[in-house]
Amino acid sequence: MLELVHVTKSFESPVETGSVCVLKDITLKVENGKSLVIVGPSGSGKSTLLNIIGALDKPSGGQVILDGKNLAELNEDELAKIRNEKIGFVFQLHHLLPQCTVLENVLIPTLADKKMFPKKETQQRAIELLEHVGLKDFLQYRPGELSGGQRQRVAVARALINKPRLLLADEPTGSLDKDSSLNVADMLVELNRSEQVTLIVVTHSLELAKRVGEIMELNGGVLTNGKMQ
Amino acid sequence: MSLLKLAKQSLVFYWRTNLGVLLSIIVSTSVLTGALVIGDSVRYTLAKLTDDRLGPAKFALFPKGRFFSSNLSNNLEKELGTKAAPVLQLNGMISNDNGSKRVSSIEVLGVDDKFYDFSQGENPFIKDSADTIVLNKPLAARLNTKVGEDIVLRIEKPSAMSRDVPLTPDSDLSIAFRLRVAAIADEADFGRFSLQANQVWPLNAFVPMQWLQKKIDRIDEANIILISDNKNIITIDQVNKAVKKIWRLADAELELNQYDLKGVFEIRSRRVFIDDVLSQAALNADANSVGILTYFVNEIRLRDKFTPYSFVSAIQPSAVENGIIPDDMKDDEIIINQWLADDIGANVGDSIELKYYVQMPMRKLEEKSAGFKVRIILPIQGVAIDSELMPDFPGLADAENCRDWEPGIEIDLDKIRDKDEKYWDDYKGTPKAFVTLSAGQKIWANRYGNITGVRYPIDNLSESDIAQKILKKVEPASVGLFFMPVRELGGRAGGGTDDFGQLFLGLSMFLIIASLILTGLVFVFGVESRSEQIGMLMAVGLPQKLIKRLLMAEGAILAILGAAIGTLAAVLYTKAIIFGLATIWKSIAGGSEILYHAKQSTMLAGAMAAVIFSMIAVWITLRKSLKRPARELLAGALRWQYFKTNKVSKSRIGLLIAAVSALGAMLIVSFTGAGDSKAVSGAFFGAGALLLISGLSLSYALLKMVAGRWNRAVSSLVGLGLRNSTRRSGRSLAVIGLLACGIFLVIAIGVFRQNPDADAHRRDSGTGGFALYGESTIGLLYDLNTESGRKSLRLNESDFKAVDVVQLRVHDGDDASCLNLNQAQMPRILGVQPQLLNQRGAFGVRQIIQKAVKNDAWLLLEQNISENVVPAIGDYATVFWALGKSVGDEIDYVDEKGSKIRLFIVGILNSSILQGSLLISENEFIKRFPSDEGYRTFLIDAPRETSDEFSNNVMSRLRDYGFELIPASQRLEQFMVVENTYLSIFQLLGGLGMILGSIGLGLVVLRNVLERRGELAMLQAVGYNKTTLKKMIFHEHGGLMLYGLLCGIIAALVAVAPALRTTSANVPYLTIAAIGINAVLWIWIAASFALSGRLMDALRNE
Repeated sequence: MLELVHVTKSFESPVETGSVCVLKDITLKVENGKSLVIVGPSGSGKSTLLNIIGALDKPSGGQVILDGKNLAELNEDELAKIRNEKIGFVFQLHHLLPQCTVLENVLIPTLADKKMFPKKETQQRAIELLEHVGLKDFLQYRPGELSGGQRQRVAVARALINKPRLLLADEPTGSLDKDSSLNVADMLVELNRSEQVTLIVVTHSLELAKRVGEIMELNGGVLTNGKMQ
Repeated sequence: MSLLKLAKQSLVFYWRTNLGVLLSIIVSTSVLTGALVIGDSVRYTLAKLTDDRLGPAKFALFPKGRFFSSNLSNNLEKELGTKAAPVLQLNGMISNDNGSKRVSSIEVLGVDDKFYDFSQGENPFIKDSADTIVLNKPLAARLNTKVGEDIVLRIEKPSAMSRDVPLTPDSDLSIAFRLRVAAIADEADFGRFSLQANQVWPLNAFVPMQWLQKKIDRIDEANIILISDNKNIITIDQVNKAVKKIWRLADAELELNQYDLKGVFEIRSRRVFIDDVLSQAALNADANSVGILTYFVNEIRLRDKFTPYSFVSAIQPSAVENGIIPDDMKDDEIIINQWLADDIGANVGDSIELKYYVQMPMRKLEEKSAGFKVRIILPIQGVAIDSELMPDFPGLADAENCRDWEPGIEIDLDKIRDKDEKYWDDYKGTPKAFVTLSAGQKIWANRYGNITGVRYPIDNLSESDIAQKILKKVEPASVGLFFMPVRELGGRAGGGTDDFGQLFLGLSMFLIIASLILTGLVFVFGVESRSEQIGMLMAVGLPQKLIKRLLMAEGAILAILGAAIGTLAAVLYTKAIIFGLATIWKSIAGGSEILYHAKQSTMLAGAMAAVIFSMIAVWITLRKSLKRPARELLAGALRWQYFKTNKVSKSRIGLLIAAVSALGAMLIVSFTGAGDSKAVSGAFFGAGALLLISGLSLSYALLKMVAGRWNRAVSSLVGLGLRNSTRRSGRSLAVIGLLACGIFLVIAIGVFRQNPDADAHRRDSGTGGFALYGESTIGLLYDLNTESGRKSLRLNESDFKAVDVVQLRVHDGDDASCLNLNQAQMPRILGVQPQLLNQRGAFGVRQIIQKAVKNDAWLLLEQNISENVVPAIGDYATVFWALGKSVGDEIDYVDEKGSKIRLFIVGILNSSILQGSLLISENEFIKRFPSDEGYRTFLIDAPRETSDEFSNNVMSRLRDYGFELIPASQRLEQFMVVENTYLSIFQLLGGLGMILGSIGLGLVVLRNVLERRGELAMLQAVGYNKTTLKKMIFHEHGGLMLYGLLCGIIAALVAVAPALRTTSANVPYLTIAAIGINAVLWIWIAASFALSGRLMDALRNE
């Protein structure tokens, strides 16, 4: 279970004295297996919130508790381990390694701790995931040989390779055309169900938001229940 | 999938970037390994030269100025069960048939079958040994002579008694022969034979040993023995013990004669005066031994009557029957013979006066007198007639009559009367008077000995008893008969050249650092371009250290590959450098060929060092890049380098360092003052270096400040360029640093180029203010500053107007100058009268032992430290570089008598014409090396306008001495050429480093522009044309270049200010301009390349 307790985040202002508060007293509880969409305008702090949830950034105040562990109390290596084992990331840009094949790209997270993921097992899982996202025939392709939607699907498969409890997607369809966007959105929802993974998506795409699940809105650093407009 | 596989794939995928990294590593590896291999090659060459010059010789015995029986060699061969070869070596001069080519200071080597058997070569004298000579290759080349042609050889004729003793004749110093060249000796013919470690070919002339022995009246004598040890089982102790076991009296130049009529054996020496150690042993050989000292007196006078030129013997009182001197005879009593008593009308009880010469330095004589009371008048019969009491004084002993006397002193033949001639005819050198030995020794003892003979009653002992008793008591080493482990010393001399490899490494350092900076720069470009990838890896949970390991693995693969290729390239690089050393830099190796030789271990060490250094460069660049959080990396932080405003503290640190360094520089300059001493130069150099640090710190601060809270709006292209340059402050600083350091070095080194003519007239310069420097093959025995000395040498008095000479004694040894690549083990020693140089203030003193007054540095040589410690002074190149010592250090040395002495360095001179030798006081020199006759090095004060004429006249007059003069500045230049050549290499390699620096600048420009193509496209979209963009880029990077150059130039000019003021050194404007143009060119090329194509496409891709 993921829980955010009075989380705040401030940045130093380059022009004014004092700091700019991006996230204000955010408290949130997400049960395992649930899906949640956070929407909001640009600069509202969506990505910052997602980075804090995903242990990529630390809050200025409050607690982020994942499966009972307060992330603020963990060091960099422990956070990396949490990210590796419990969290999967899908970014707006796929960030695939152009030098690696599709299959290799999916396997990249497994390099972090070889002991936990015996080679055969993980490779089989990578193939299954790629099959799941419709890329079974593209295992040995390089990212440069794929379309934008296909690349993002590889990125999704990569995010799921270590069977994370939490899948975070930051504008996952932001760089895709409409068809590809819908395709990726459906896939995320389907994986949420089939893999029993908690899904949190940050987007300003209402269409994506409608397909995923519960919607919350971040505006002026305050998180509220979303009102679809 | 594995990390290694990922690393490999990344390497291949980003091949363009990695190729740049690879090339940089190849350069650093080849330069680094090349420098080490050059060290290997020099060591190998010197080791081979040791083989060439020593052949199989492991030990050598070469007593200076002494001869021994050549049979000693045969006996040693038998005793040790190995090969031995005697050699008779003399100094000589040679000229070609018509005298047009002349070479002084050659080694004339009398050799026989043993020598060629020893070296496994063919004896060239077997077929034809009559009046033939074999020249070694360089000597033949210098004479431009061929086999079958005639040459004229002049050799030094050794004297039985040291020529420093005035009684020794000074005529017949050398003898000349016309000989035919039988062969030219190469390395294979042992033509390179020499006992001195030097990579330069010796100038050897080989003649048959028997022929040479005959010509110098040294039948069956030699002065060198070589011993081999193919099985490597013989130790130096064994060899020296073998000498002790088998040596004979003849090997100590002693002879034992039996005089039946007198009933005695007598020991006497070919050297006339018997060495103290031998005479002591001889006296102790038997209780009834009688010591004798016979001396030549000028006159024996009683009032107005005198007898000229007579021998007087000082004899030990003895109770033995037939003893001349009674037991109770007092030291002020004299026994005269009847002939003398009659001649001067003396009676018992009369006081008579002996007038005699005593020896002063430079064969000067001082007449002294001593009074004695006549105790007995002996009839001329029995013991009173004993011409054998007269030792074999050269020029006297073999004279038929008094008028044929040719002693070294001036004889007034007019004083010799008919009765004197008759006495000579009847009694030869029979002494006319006798005093006690102690009385004689008080007035006639000298440094060569105080006994001329020792007698033993025949009844007591046999000849062999006496010989054995003497030889047992004496260590052969004490008369110079000791072997030296020449091969070991040669190995040490050649092995001591680690410094050469290290020196080259030092010279290459800037190039290596530049290539390493380039390695880091290019590598970090690659990392930066993969910012998002790294962020993603972090985001998916790969720990930072694992990502670092991945990138380090990539770097390691590149480093290993680069090192492997670089090691191969090092072979070519080394060969190119060796080619350079054989051609444009030939002065460094003295014109000798350096043979390429690379040890596998060296190549491996070089490659490993390159890998480690490259990895450090990669690690340093990665360290900063990976410190960023994943979210920033994912946002392309490494690529885009977003501005941050929290840089004020960093800029403050930079400003603080800049201010402190600048203040330090100003304080140094203001407190040091003017002058040209090394201390002042050093201080200014330090100030310059501080200014360089200040400039670089200031640039760091400015970059951070402009990047940070710089609130002024950009109002021009220059301003925009300046603002842009702060975006990548690390890159900008690297460019400024490379250029500034490079230009600093180029200028600083350029100014340190030495000019021998600059300040040559000054006493504290490298010439010591002397106009001429001279050397002679045969020592000059007289004082050139006195009329009598010049007269003795038949020099023109008129040539010596306003001329003053400082004469130095020479004990030959290894050349410890920068012209010798070997590390001198037994350096050449010069004996000098310290006060002569001290009163002139000659030669700049660099450093002296504590508590001493610098102005009186030379007087430190007169310090009496302890029996075995001799104060010594040498110049900087000799002491510091060639011998690896400094002030206060000691150098182990062996004196002529085999005693171990320590040369204690009390002072170091600035680079000078005395380079290559250590100087000790003349008094110490004479004590330690009494057999080194005369003066062979000369420092001459002569009016510069007449110095050429003086040189020609004096060289012509002293031709038979092999006397040669050169301008002191020319001598200094010979050494400075080497130092200047090193500076040239440093500048060349530094210049290559600057080229790499410029390439780095070009890459930075290219990188900066390529990663901002979108931004530039935007500027184009809003109306900038390409020329304007190019100008903007040019302002941005040109500013960095200009700042770097200015920084380096200002700092360098401060650093070399004293040098610029006091020497003819110049700022290398052309080089600076070339560097500037080169940098501009690279900026332009990179900007043009990056702006080529359709910029607007970049905008669409965004």
